[in-house]
Amino acid sequence: MLKLTGVGKRYPDGLAALEGLDLTIRDGSFTSIVGPSGCGKSTLLRLIAGLAAPTEGAITGLDEGSIGLVFQDATLMPWADVFANVYLPFRLAGVSRVAASPRIEEALSLVGLLDFRGAYPRALSGGMRMRVAIARAIATKPRLLLMDEPFAALDEITRNKLNDDLLRLWREGDFTTIFITHSVFESVYLSTDIAVMTARPGRIFARYEIAGPTARDSEFRASAVYLDGCRAVSRDLERVMSMGAP
Amino acid sequence: MSRFLPLSVGIFVLSLWEALVRVLDVPKFILPPPSMIADALISNFPQLLDALWETFKLTVLAFAASFVGGLALAVLFVRSRLIERSFLPYALVLQVTPIVAIAPQIVIWVGVDHVERAVFILATIVAFFPILSNASLGLRSVDPGLMDLFKLYRASGVQRLWLLQLPSALPALLAGARISAGLALIGAVVAEFVAGSGEAVGLAWRISESASRLQTPLTFAALLLLSLTGLALNALVTMIEKRLLRHWHPAHGEAS
Ligand SMILES: Nc1ncnc2c1ncn2[C@@H]1O[C@H](COP(=O)(O)OP(=O)(O)OP(=O)(O)O)[C@@H](O)[C@H]1O
Ligand SMILES: [Mg+2]
Repeated sequence: MLKLTGVGKRYPDGLAALEGLDLTIRDGSFTSIVGPSGCGKSTLLRLIAGLAAPTEGAITGLDEGSIGLVFQDATLMPWADVFANVYLPFRLAGVSRVAASPRIEEALSLVGLLDFRGAYPRALSGGMRMRVAIARAIATKPRLLLMDEPFAALDEITRNKLNDDLLRLWREGDFTTIFITHSVFESVYLSTDIAVMTARPGRIFARYEIAGPTARDSEFRASAVYLDGCRAVSRDLERVMSMGAP
Repeated sequence: MSRFLPLSVGIFVLSLWEALVRVLDVPKFILPPPSMIADALISNFPQLLDALWETFKLTVLAFAASFVGGLALAVLFVRSRLIERSFLPYALVLQVTPIVAIAPQIVIWVGVDHVERAVFILATIVAFFPILSNASLGLRSVDPGLMDLFKLYRASGVQRLWLLQLPSALPALLAGARISAGLALIGAVVAEFVAGSGEAVGLAWRISESASRLQTPLTFAALLLLSLTGLALNALVTMIEKRLLRHWHPAHGEAS
């Protein structure tokens, strides 16, 4: 269980991005974090990833060295082909190509890109690049997958497809996902848990659990659970934004 | 079409040149006709080729030295702000000092009977800066997201340099190399002009020698070889650049 208690982050320029943030994330959950723009969502994710240290509070229950990370842009190395991009985490850990190969191929086939292992990023579509980034993040079988608005730059059809693929990966895999998004619909469709953040300095405003099957499809989008969830989260976001307005 | 255009312009200009020189009866030491230049080129070809080889050798050596030195210094600069702050001003001083002004002193230092060493040093100085500045720029132009990933996966400093910073710097570094290769040739020629006494055997010496003897056709022939060398050098670096960057970006690859 990942636990954040009283977490605050003040940047060197004095700006408080987060303040008094308490959040518990259940193991194996798919937790979405939504909040107004600039409320500190990316900052929160960076703290969890260990890329920055909180200036206040504590984060416990982290299984260090077992984190996968996906950003809004795929962040691939343009000079390396798909295989070499997914190989990166292994290479940095000193694992040979041969030894890492089965894991890499497994990850690539999970995202449906095994045939593209020799392709270079510039030859791939935005959606395919994102799949490579996801393959890279899950190839090492992390306990925790962190995603920062991964699909925000994609068209809706691609996005829906990737949403379903991600859900399948998460269901079949054995990891916790923390997923940042601007889209209320996306968060309710995907998540078991949702945390709504306040405007900056960010803390948790409300928590939701979305009941219902973890296998979701277009039918789920018509269910009462989904619609109620969307309504509640949207209402919270509106409140949070009006509170945040100076 | 786009290939034929410059070619036909060239043929036209050469014919015009030939005709005008003959019709106006211009003395050949002022402006020789192209046919005479070709003649001088052919009859002096072995000597000219030797001279070209000398200049070319020094150009390539100077380019190689400035590439390795510039890149190494850039790596040091990127690893330590302190080193950068202490040394960058001196690199700048070298950059803004006209080599013509320091050439005589360098010749004195390395000895008058080792002119080629002076030429090498001077050409290196000229070619050095574009590599240094472009490599520094490139090494710093790393995608912050990739930087985060390397941090997440606990990359060592060497891994970060080798697997992230150097590849990220490649486009800028190669752009610097193209400028630097051209400058190395210019630097070698200028240095030879300034430093060259009886000892120098490069193309620049052939040019100034033939010019002082009013062998203008030979001067032009040597000039022609020099320009061709410059073009060839540029084409070579561009080719390497295209090859190394073909996966990066549509602009670098073949049409797509
Ligand atoms: N390295 C930094 N130094 C100073 N301030 C920063 C830094 N990174 C982020 N901030 C500031 O912290 C605040 C929160 O930023 P953050 O990127 O975490 O928000 P966000 O919720 O992810 O925003 P968005 O929805 O636009 O992605 C913003 O006001 C931002 O300007
Ligand atoms: Mg963000």
